Amino acid sequence: MSDFLKLDRLTLGYGDTVAVEGLDFAMQPGELVALLGPSGCGKTTTMRAIAGLMTPMGGTITLDGRDITRVPPNKRGVGLVFQSYALFPHLTVFENVAFGLRLARVARAELTQRVDTALAATGLLHLAQRLPRELSGGQQQRVALARSIVVEPKLLLLDEPLSNLDARLRLEMRSELSRLQRELGIAMIYVTHDQSEALALADRIIVMRDGRIEQSGTPDAIYERPASVFVAGFMGFENTFVIHNGLLAGIAPIGFEVRDAVGLAWRPHSVVLGQGPHRGTVAGASYLGQVVEYLLTTPLGDIKAEAPASAPRHAAGDTIAFDLPEAGVVRLPRA
Amino acid sequence: MFQDRRIGLWLLAPATLFVVVGFLVPVIILLSGAFRTDGGWSLGNYLDFFGSSLNREVFWRTFRLGLTVTLVSAILGYGVAMAVVDKGPKTKGRLIAMLVLPLMISPVARTYAWLVILGRTGFINVGLENLGIIERPLRILFTETAVFIGLIQLFFPLMVLPLISALENMPRDVVPAARVLGANWLTVFWKVILPLTKEGLVVGGTLVFVGSLTAYVTPAILGGSKVLMLETLLYQRVSVANDYASAAVIGVILIAMSVLTNILLKKLASVRKA
Amino acid sequence: MRISGNILLAAVLLFLIGPFVIICIAGLSAGETLSFPPQGLSLRWVARVFQVESFRNAFALSMTLAIGATLAALVLGIPAAYALERYRPPGAEVIRNIVTAPIVVPGIIVGLALLRHLVIPTGIGVTVALFIGHTALLVPYAVRVVSASLVNLRPDIEEAAVMLGASRLGAFMKVVLPNIRSGIMAAFIIGFITSFNQVPVSLFLSGPGVTTLPIDMMFYMEFNYDPSVAALSGLLALMSLAVVMVAEKVLGLSRYV
Repeated sequence: MSDFLKLDRLTLGYGDTVAVEGLDFAMQPGELVALLGPSGCGKTTTMRAIAGLMTPMGGTITLDGRDITRVPPNKRGVGLVFQSYALFPHLTVFENVAFGLRLARVARAELTQRVDTALAATGLLHLAQRLPRELSGGQQQRVALARSIVVEPKLLLLDEPLSNLDARLRLEMRSELSRLQRELGIAMIYVTHDQSEALALADRIIVMRDGRIEQSGTPDAIYERPASVFVAGFMGFENTFVIHNGLLAGIAPIGFEVRDAVGLAWRPHSVVLGQGPHRGTVAGASYLGQVVEYLLTTPLGDIKAEAPASAPRHAAGDTIAFDLPEAGVVRLPRA
Repeated sequence: MFQDRRIGLWLLAPATLFVVVGFLVPVIILLSGAFRTDGGWSLGNYLDFFGSSLNREVFWRTFRLGLTVTLVSAILGYGVAMAVVDKGPKTKGRLIAMLVLPLMISPVARTYAWLVILGRTGFINVGLENLGIIERPLRILFTETAVFIGLIQLFFPLMVLPLISALENMPRDVVPAARVLGANWLTVFWKVILPLTKEGLVVGGTLVFVGSLTAYVTPAILGGSKVLMLETLLYQRVSVANDYASAAVIGVILIAMSVLTNILLKKLASVRKA
Repeated sequence: MRISGNILLAAVLLFLIGPFVIICIAGLSAGETLSFPPQGLSLRWVARVFQVESFRNAFALSMTLAIGATLAALVLGIPAAYALERYRPPGAEVIRNIVTAPIVVPGIIVGLALLRHLVIPTGIGVTVALFIGHTALLVPYAVRVVSASLVNLRPDIEEAAVMLGASRLGAFMKVVLPNIRSGIMAAFIIGFITSFNQVPVSLFLSGPGVTTLPIDMMFYMEFNYDPSVAALSGLLALMSLAVVMVAEKVLGLSRYV
């Protein structure tokens, strides 16, 4: 089976600066891929190149069997939901959504029917005659989404679509997006710097760093087996260390075989408190119900640990022993 | 999408080309005449220009009128702007429209109205004579006072509008706060209002000062050949004597004074801010 | 404080607007010479304004010039402002300074320069030179006002339009233009008024048969002391009043302050 979208040695940049170098990447029809990475990693640039809003310096983009590298953005059949929504301020919600259909000269009856369907799917039917500035952030977000899906793009790109919403609305829109994607079966690329969003939504996550792909895989695979110190840090491993001269962070002996790893990581619940070769001072303790979370100041750096609430408590200022055992370690093959 | 800079250059080309050919080149050729005498490049024209006592007088008069018009506009402007800002939105809109109106009316019509008021058989003289205060008509027309009055009326809106806008943008409660702390009105003005609105004052001051320096219609009609300002002098030198060197010198002086005022006032505003 | 502020406001408004009332009344005089209060009321000088051929011709020229130069300045200025705000090509700031330079140079210099170094060497007509001078004077206004409205408009709505199938030009026409319409109208009004009332630029570019209305009025008042210029001034003031009222209705002038 040939790939639905294929980026081949894609190189992107502005002027003399190269933002993305030799990117290879393929996705299947109906897949939801998250492009994840810190700001400046090239994820938005990559997305803009797929949209056609910037011309690659090298490489090719193939969509549905057609080379679209030089095809202008309005002829690609790619939709884009902007981070800022980019609604047309002078048009009503209805006309915003109808914009693409009018350009395609869709007949009036069909146009009304399709716009209404899109508005209904996003729960906006009752707001059809409002202007964008009369809507809340969440409603504007839905208009942007409806406007993009009504033209039935082959591929929908979403640029940090939830980053301007408050936390509750973000969770709500997240499940809404997921529902829409299942119903429409449309291929989506979701650009974000929020790993929890990527984990929750994506079929596959691509972690980007400095214009290259750092790791690509299912959410489980990336969460369980980060391929590098960078990915581990980005996926929310609290305790990540590099190995230096066979020593943890260059100072502490490691009690087990590190194999070919260059870094090791532990989640807070894998850190054993009260025994072990390392010493640290409790800087803070937070009771979270089931568990107590400790922040330790140690020669290795700050360490976050969790212990069951039933275990003996430690107070701030106590010096305690702890262990970073092989059980629960994640070996990181790259920096 | 906007990365293709060639498109940008193509869009700019018509306007740039037009301004360069239809404005910049002729003006530069003309102004370069200020630095040329028969022998080549020199500053001789400036020495000649300022060698004449009439020219010096016109220069100082222009400067003096610009300065006084700006100062009086600023003082009146603050009073008027503060009164306008106090009003409700509807009244405020109407008042602003009334302040804008004079800007829209032909300066010739505006200035001509002063002929009717200040002239020998004008409103003021007839009125004073009828009241028996004076016996012979006062000479107001063709004096510096007449030009001053005309310029104030012409440029006052350019001062008051930026001041209104600056006062509007001032945080609501600072004046009552200062009053509560016991400051009298003068202190409030110097310590609170002036520092917070100086950007508006700078914008207005630049517009009024530069506008007064380069005014033509007002001195031409209300000053005549007796009270010349730099622009009317320029017109006279060219139309009477074909004296293009003096014209170029006056042009350079006016542009230099405008640009200097701009820079100076902007500096003044930003230095005080820091 | 409030009372003295209102007295000052009233006095200043009287000073600003009173002369226009006086000139309107003086224009309705029945007498032979200009005076106030007028010697009786009549419309004879108002009627006379329309009979003076030079006024009629000058009005037609000023009207044509104002509309033509403003449209030309917008045609040149809108793309320029758009390029400056969106594409920021190399040297953008230098170019911005060039296209807004005419605002710094006194109009009388522009007129003289065009006469001496464009009309005389190339042999183009004075009317063409007037048109060029007025347009050059208005380009900075067009660029500034349109730039200001573009700054307030997000650039990504154009990208959104393109992603929905619009061409670049289509995106500009359908998404940018409607949103900067009030800025363009403001630029048009400012441009029209500036050109129509312009004296210094036109001063040296007037010749036999080619005179703009304000220049013609100045010539006329040099040799005549009858109330016809007062009547004409009154008419012009009323015309401006109408423009301000329409502008306030359509644009809400107070928002632009």
